Amino acid sequence: MSHFLDRLTFFTRKDEAFSGGHGITTREDRGWEDGYRKRWQHDKVVRSTHGVNCTGSCSWKVYVKGGIVTWETQQTDYPRTRPDLPNHEPRGCARGASYSWYLYSANRVKHPLVRGRLLRLWREARAVRTPVAAWASIQQDPAKRRAYTAIRGHGGFVRSTWDEVNEMIAAANAYTVKTYGPDRVFGFSPIPAMSMVSYAAGARYLSLMGGVCMSFYDWYCDLPPSSPQTWGEQTDVPESADWYNSGFLILWGSNVPQTRTPDAHFYTEVRYRGAKSVVICPDYSEASKFADMWVSVKQGTDAALGMAMGHVILKEFHVDRQVPYFVDYAKRYTDMPMLVRLVRQEDGKLVPERFLRASDLDGGMGETNNPEWKTLALDETTGELVVPNGSVGFRWGEKGKWNLEAKRADGAPVDLRLSLAGGEKDVSDGFEDVAFPYFGNIAHEHFVSDAHASVLERRVPVKRIATAEGETLVATVYDLFLANYGVDRGFGGGNVAESFDDDAPYSPAWAEAITGVKRDQIVTVAREFARNAEKTDGRSMIIIGAAMNHWYHMDMNYRSAINMLVMCGCVGQSGGGWSHYVGQEKLRPQSGWAPLAFGLDWGRPPRQQNSTSCFYAHTDQWRYEQLDVSEILSPTAPAGPWDGAIIDYNIRAERMGWLPSAPQLEENPLGIAAKATAAGLSPKDYVAQSLKSGALKMSCEDPDNPKNWPRNLFVWRSNLLGSSGKGHEYFLKHLLGTKHGLLGKDLGEEGKRKSKEVVWRDEAPEGKLDLLVTLDFRMSTTCVYSDIVLPTASWYEKDDLNTSDMHPFIHPLTAAVDPVWESRTDWNIYKGLAAAFSEVAPEVLGVETDVVLTPILHDTPGEIAQPFDVADWKTGAIEPVPGKTMPQVTVVERDYPNLYKRFTALGPLMTKVGNGGKGMAWNTEHEVELLRELNGVVTEEGPTKGLARIETAIDACEVLLMLAPETNGEVAVKAWESLETFTGREHAHLALPKEDEKIRFRDVVAQPRKIISSPIWSGLESEKVCYNACYTNVHELIPWRTLTGRQQLYQDHLWMRAFGEGFCVYRPPIDMKTVHPVKGRGADGAPEIVLNFITPHQKWGIHSTYSDNLMMLTLNRGGPVVWISENDAKKAGLVDNDWIEVYNTNGAISARAVVSQRVKDGMCMMYHAQEKIVNTPGSTLTGQRGGIHNSVTRAVLKPTHMIGGYAQLSYGFNYYGTVGANRDEFVVVRKLAKVDWLDDEPVPAVAAE
Amino acid sequence: MLTLKALSALLGYPTRDLLRAIPAIREGIAAEAALDARARGALEPLLARLETEDLYDLEERYVLLFDRTRAHSLNLFEHVHGESRDRGQAMVDLKALYDGAGFEMASTELPDYLPLFLEYASTLPGEEARALLAEPAHVFEALRDRLARKESPYAAVFAALVALCASAPEASSFEALAEIEETDPNDLAALDRVWEEEEVRFGPGAATAECGVDQLAAKVRQARRPAPGLETPAMMGPRTVFTHSSSTDRA
Repeated sequence: MSHFLDRLTFFTRKDEAFSGGHGITTREDRGWEDGYRKRWQHDKVVRSTHGVNCTGSCSWKVYVKGGIVTWETQQTDYPRTRPDLPNHEPRGCARGASYSWYLYSANRVKHPLVRGRLLRLWREARAVRTPVAAWASIQQDPAKRRAYTAIRGHGGFVRSTWDEVNEMIAAANAYTVKTYGPDRVFGFSPIPAMSMVSYAAGARYLSLMGGVCMSFYDWYCDLPPSSPQTWGEQTDVPESADWYNSGFLILWGSNVPQTRTPDAHFYTEVRYRGAKSVVICPDYSEASKFADMWVSVKQGTDAALGMAMGHVILKEFHVDRQVPYFVDYAKRYTDMPMLVRLVRQEDGKLVPERFLRASDLDGGMGETNNPEWKTLALDETTGELVVPNGSVGFRWGEKGKWNLEAKRADGAPVDLRLSLAGGEKDVSDGFEDVAFPYFGNIAHEHFVSDAHASVLERRVPVKRIATAEGETLVATVYDLFLANYGVDRGFGGGNVAESFDDDAPYSPAWAEAITGVKRDQIVTVAREFARNAEKTDGRSMIIIGAAMNHWYHMDMNYRSAINMLVMCGCVGQSGGGWSHYVGQEKLRPQSGWAPLAFGLDWGRPPRQQNSTSCFYAHTDQWRYEQLDVSEILSPTAPAGPWDGAIIDYNIRAERMGWLPSAPQLEENPLGIAAKATAAGLSPKDYVAQSLKSGALKMSCEDPDNPKNWPRNLFVWRSNLLGSSGKGHEYFLKHLLGTKHGLLGKDLGEEGKRKSKEVVWRDEAPEGKLDLLVTLDFRMSTTCVYSDIVLPTASWYEKDDLNTSDMHPFIHPLTAAVDPVWESRTDWNIYKGLAAAFSEVAPEVLGVETDVVLTPILHDTPGEIAQPFDVADWKTGAIEPVPGKTMPQVTVVERDYPNLYKRFTALGPLMTKVGNGGKGMAWNTEHEVELLRELNGVVTEEGPTKGLARIETAIDACEVLLMLAPETNGEVAVKAWESLETFTGREHAHLALPKEDEKIRFRDVVAQPRKIISSPIWSGLESEKVCYNACYTNVHELIPWRTLTGRQQLYQDHLWMRAFGEGFCVYRPPIDMKTVHPVKGRGADGAPEIVLNFITPHQKWGIHSTYSDNLMMLTLNRGGPVVWISENDAKKAGLVDNDWIEVYNTNGAISARAVVSQRVKDGMCMMYHAQEKIVNTPGSTLTGQRGGIHNSVTRAVLKPTHMIGGYAQLSYGFNYYGTVGANRDEFVVVRKLAKVDWLDDEPVPAVAAE
Repeated sequence: MLTLKALSALLGYPTRDLLRAIPAIREGIAAEAALDARARGALEPLLARLETEDLYDLEERYVLLFDRTRAHSLNLFEHVHGESRDRGQAMVDLKALYDGAGFEMASTELPDYLPLFLEYASTLPGEEARALLAEPAHVFEALRDRLARKESPYAAVFAALVALCASAPEASSFEALAEIEETDPNDLAALDRVWEEEEVRFGPGAATAECGVDQLAAKVRQARRPAPGLETPAMMGPRTVFTHSSSTDRA
């Protein structure tokens, strides 16, 4: 019987089973699904990122529902890469993914906060006085001032209003400007790239005032001075995608999966296409498990390892067999062919001196322009002495020959000779034994030293040259360089290694003893690194980390690695080169941003100070300096009085125009121009003459004189005291004047004073700052110590821009929600301050003439100031000449009543003077005109009428996008054309295809945009190559911005030679002498061990951010921890999770011990940076809350970083200068007997009336 | 309920306006008599302090107590959701509750800000207000307990709130919140227990048990266990009694 009519044609029954009876549809209520639907519902998705201290620069989708940020996910819409290259997306890590929970956290700063005692004083004074007079009345009464400075860090905050705090801060600024000078108002903010407008807001406010922007990159010790030394470039690195082009990757002190999480995929991916990877790291880091070979080097001895690997490469690839590619690269792109003078010292030993210059020869080799700055070499075939193009002498004062074409100055082709010996024609005049310094024999309690002599003579082919002063011996850098490595070239003589098993510096056998790395491993890594470079024309790469750079002798660590890369022709080649990803975070549209940030549209130059020297002086760390100059002086140092203390060298450097000075003079800079006029002199002449006569004194000579104190300090986008303040306890004691945990004595108390230049005051100042203002969204350690805390918008509440060195895109922060509670964006905070300041200032300030002292600056014609000797005018030997032998002196007009108007309009100098960067200059009239149309013009009467407006943060974004070559193709073409006038070569083709492209704020809101190739940077953004540093130097023949115009492996400055770093050598860590005085202080008899104190970057935070985020805290132990090895733990009687105390003369830390096999014996690691405000008990030694990682550190300066006025060794903001090294520090570790949470800490009562 | 409005005001930042309004507050609370005489009496030290003490002292104490100490946060969800992702949704729900009643938030505070929440409750009929208050009763009890231990007169406000609730807080809810306070920060052994990680075991037998739902839940609980001294419960598990009783349930 047919079932035709029973069958349904158009329906099936819902309750029919399906999938063979495994599935069934039910009719139950589906209301429960709302639970998860609601979880994922949202009203809008906003693009933003995390905007200060993370190099990741990941774009995020921020989900907003009902006006509340609910969660975030990674953006996945980065522009695609080319075929055969993985895409960038997704980028982001656990830290970023937990950020939205910050927004509404209880740790958020919700209202403007002021210390109650200060607010009461202010309101009482303000009730009867005008604002500036009110502030003056507090400052001029020591008891009143002390009432609030002495309780910094100890609570007592009350809420205030924006109007009130703005007026108070403005009054403090105006009082300081009037009383002491604008160079006593400081601001510290790091890493502008990550939220450039937020940085610019404060910098613009300060710069229009004449205040001081402090550097960060050098202070963090993330600046590798080896980069400016070698390349004349602050830091330029390949983007992470370029790792994928590499064939051999060394990760050296870098922990890519942990600290470069969003980029790590390129590292894992390239291994699948056959790249080999070596990880050099003392501990078994996260990166180590990615390695084909893990090299566990003794911490702090990396230079020994690098030198030994260099030794192997030189021996096998340059001496026993010559790789044509390596030889060609060395000739064209390095200083190796350049000639160096050899001079005999008093002891009869011959040492390398400075480069031979055209001016040394009769007639200057025909060079009339800058012959002192043109280095010489020999022609390979003719043996003739030639002036090759490209040295810094060609950069300034003439046009068209500053390039790396294989030509001599007269245009004839040239093939430069590397070695004087050998070749078709031996051009040497025999051999000489040349002396090199050796430091590996310096005894150190915790590092291996050996018995080799302090001076090692090695045989080098030399040539006699007739100079204007008579005959001189010269050698090539190449020959000296090989000799320095102890490579046996068959020339005879001692101190060379015949085989890798010889114990001669710098053989693998020698290094094995020092580094603990087996010689076979050293040879294998070096050999494979070079072999890969040989086969691929330089695709070997070293990813290098802060771990290497934070040692006192960081330049040796770094230069040993750089040398390996240069020997093998890797720098400037895709997939090759030096990849230092620490701290700078490339501000790609830098030259468009600088006018906005530093007010260059209104006045030039800005005041910029190197923080390391400044904090060293003003937190009085110099008063405790244990390092004697004799400990770091080279045994081959030229004659000279190498005496005094470290701070004396800094003072000399400031006097000679090498390093900046802030405060600059004891006198208020606003009063100097009038005095000059009265004396009938220009300010320049007046300052020079008065300094000479002693009528004017530089502030650096007397940092403890109240006239020279920094008075106001703004901290924004930073946790200076909780994260980056090396010598934390010194900050607390001297700069802030509050309770501290310092355990040591100063040199005066110890009777060990050595300084000569600096004024010593027996009583050290406590509390130099009148006012500390911090802008933050969370109550960080710095906020806790501030007088005023301003609630700022978080990264999902503001409009801004973000770029990185890790990828080539520019993308925005945008406001997902309005700033919560009473917070405001950084732009609006400083705009508000500018308005308040303009209101308040007329009480004491009008239009003023500010005399600004600036050091001799890199990338300016002035950088070739001091070609030969070092002379300090203070000794009377030479005259003080501004910009030549002393700081430059410039007059800048400040219009204080109109500061707000200037803040909010693009000033006239952009049209009158134009814009530029890194030595180039171009006209910006068209861009200014476009900005007038885009942002609108000021219609109100006054000095800014008719100028382009900069009212909002988006206006500010448009200004920098329009002015920067990286985001405006038209400007890029102009910039390349500017460079063409220097090089005499055609470069504009690199940007012409993008000439019509203008990236605007709304464009990057829509999608991240790839930036445009610009001569500000040395890599290209093209469809053919990934961004790689020095790519245009190698492929466009643009010189490096060094003395020789080449990658400079020999540093010939007098101070470099004096301190033994002409060539790269191994130098053991220095002895900080901070442990012995405190040993045995713990009275309870717990065993003490002494460990090296290492502070790597952590996994659960980005510096201190997220270290108070409960999501991240639950992923680790939730409080301060120090990692130690199992063996060390046993010695100290510790088991995992014990409370320990970690201390030295600098201060003390209380933390938990993490006992782990991954840690190397003899060192401990405290991840940077764990907040003092989270789970930190008291220290039994200091009685204070147990300190942060910087409680046991103190910055020590290095004289070679002070050098200036010397081509690439000239000052630049965050470019060159002293750096805050901290890894040479040792600590005592012992079990903490009693944990005191200091919960009974009394709330300080408000001062009695 | 006027008393709730008064308690809302008392939990606000001390201002001159508030100080001047203390007599009116005292009178209002007494007149309504929603609180018994003992509860009213307990509020007296706080009222007296607000009337007599120096304003700066009051402000400093308030900032330290409520703005700076997470354990006393006046944002209710700090104690319910901590920094978990449920917090955003919970705030959205609460805002919808106010919206549904015809109120638009006019301050910069978040929807879970206690004085704001109390002001809303004060607009409701008595029984409805008490029912709403009962939802976060365990938070009130925990805050009362913590403040009392600090001998803060603000404890009385929370005692009053507990008294006004329609039902006593569920003991289990309160215990969870109170748990973290049990650790004496000076008791090393107790701290160690809190910090202890459970031993990971491998091998036969361990695998199935370790992967079971119960084991996972235990691990999650363990991971969420707050660190000592960290005065806030990080995430005390999904305690959504309060949030889910929003507009949808009411409608």
